[in-house]
Amino acid sequence: MNIILVIMILTLLIPIYQGWKDEDIWQKMLAVASISSKTAILILFISVLRDDWMIAIVGVIILTVGNAGFMLLAQVIKRVTTEN
Amino acid sequence: MNNPDFSLYLITALLPLSAFLLVIQVNPFHALVIRGILGAIATLVYAILGAGDVALTEALMGTLLAITLYVIAVRSSLVMKLGVLETDFQKETQASISTEEKEKKDLFLLIISNFKKIIRKYYLRLELLSYKDINNLEKALQEKEVHGICFPINNNIKNNENLDNKNLYETIFRIERLYEIISQENSNVETNLSYVNIKQNKEEN
Amino acid sequence: MSYFLIIFGLILWLWGTSYLLSKRSPLYKLHSLSVSDTLGSIAIVMGLLWKIPREWPLLVLAIISLAIWNTMLGYVLAYCSSSNKSNTVDE
Repeated sequence: MNIILVIMILTLLIPIYQGWKDEDIWQKMLAVASISSKTAILILFISVLRDDWMIAIVGVIILTVGNAGFMLLAQVIKRVTTEN
Repeated sequence: MNNPDFSLYLITALLPLSAFLLVIQVNPFHALVIRGILGAIATLVYAILGAGDVALTEALMGTLLAITLYVIAVRSSLVMKLGVLETDFQKETQASISTEEKEKKDLFLLIISNFKKIIRKYYLRLELLSYKDINNLEKALQEKEVHGICFPINNNIKNNENLDNKNLYETIFRIERLYEIISQENSNVETNLSYVNIKQNKEEN
Repeated sequence: MSYFLIIFGLILWLWGTSYLLSKRSPLYKLHSLSVSDTLGSIAIVMGLLWKIPREWPLLVLAIISLAIWNTMLGYVLAYCSSSNKSNTVDE
């Protein structure tokens, strides 16, 4: 189980590197969306490993609301960049 | 789970890494997107360290609300408002337009695109506000509705001072920094630049 | 069985995220990323569900919200980035 966790963290590093390197703002947004869903799944995974209901609830809420929030952010950024 | 500390350390190490990435960003919008990464990782760290309430607050307030509000704030503050005349502002060209008028319009569009090019290096946006005539334009500048105004120079003045055809437009700024930025690249602006200090009502340059 | 599902999801994650590193258009990356993220995450959560069925309500909720929201987020991101592209071409 620990090995799976480490592989998940390494997978998390790829979009972080990509978000740092790429100059286009949409590539960055893609990386952020990927990271947010990955962290939520990681929280769920760890909560199930520890058999902890509280953290699992937090993970599910973050999964739902985080995605909705990034949709909002994408709309706002689109407004900003198209006006330029 | 024979050694649970190792993966915990690994996840916690991601937090300063993403914070460092956030600090070295130059473009404000890119920095805000990286702030999203930082928020997600901070949520993860808080959650696995057992602070579910802190993680939830970080996700909802710190990431969602703060980033959205900051995007709106950055968008409305990083802007250069330039007042122009209504006749210049109209984009569509009529069929019965004289060649002189057309040249003037082309020059205006060139000036505007040059301004955009220069201030893009400073991550500013250009916003054009149109006014009816030159009196309204100057009034807007006096009342600090705009940061600068751009208008065509009168014909008789042009004849008196014998200006060449290039400098048909006059641009006045009331912000000293904007004037500095634009005048640094004076060669490709193709307009007369000047800076006016509104408070003392004294024109410089 | 649960390990198989989790490892399958991990492979999907790695495969889809590796496309982020290539120099393709955002739409192409978005396609592979949304497929791998959604399917891989669902596979991982199913594996967890198989392993510990006691927490089923939360995990089922997670699967549903993943399926709905990730698809919608993918659609919104595609719409935003493609409309931005066409505007720059027009200019």
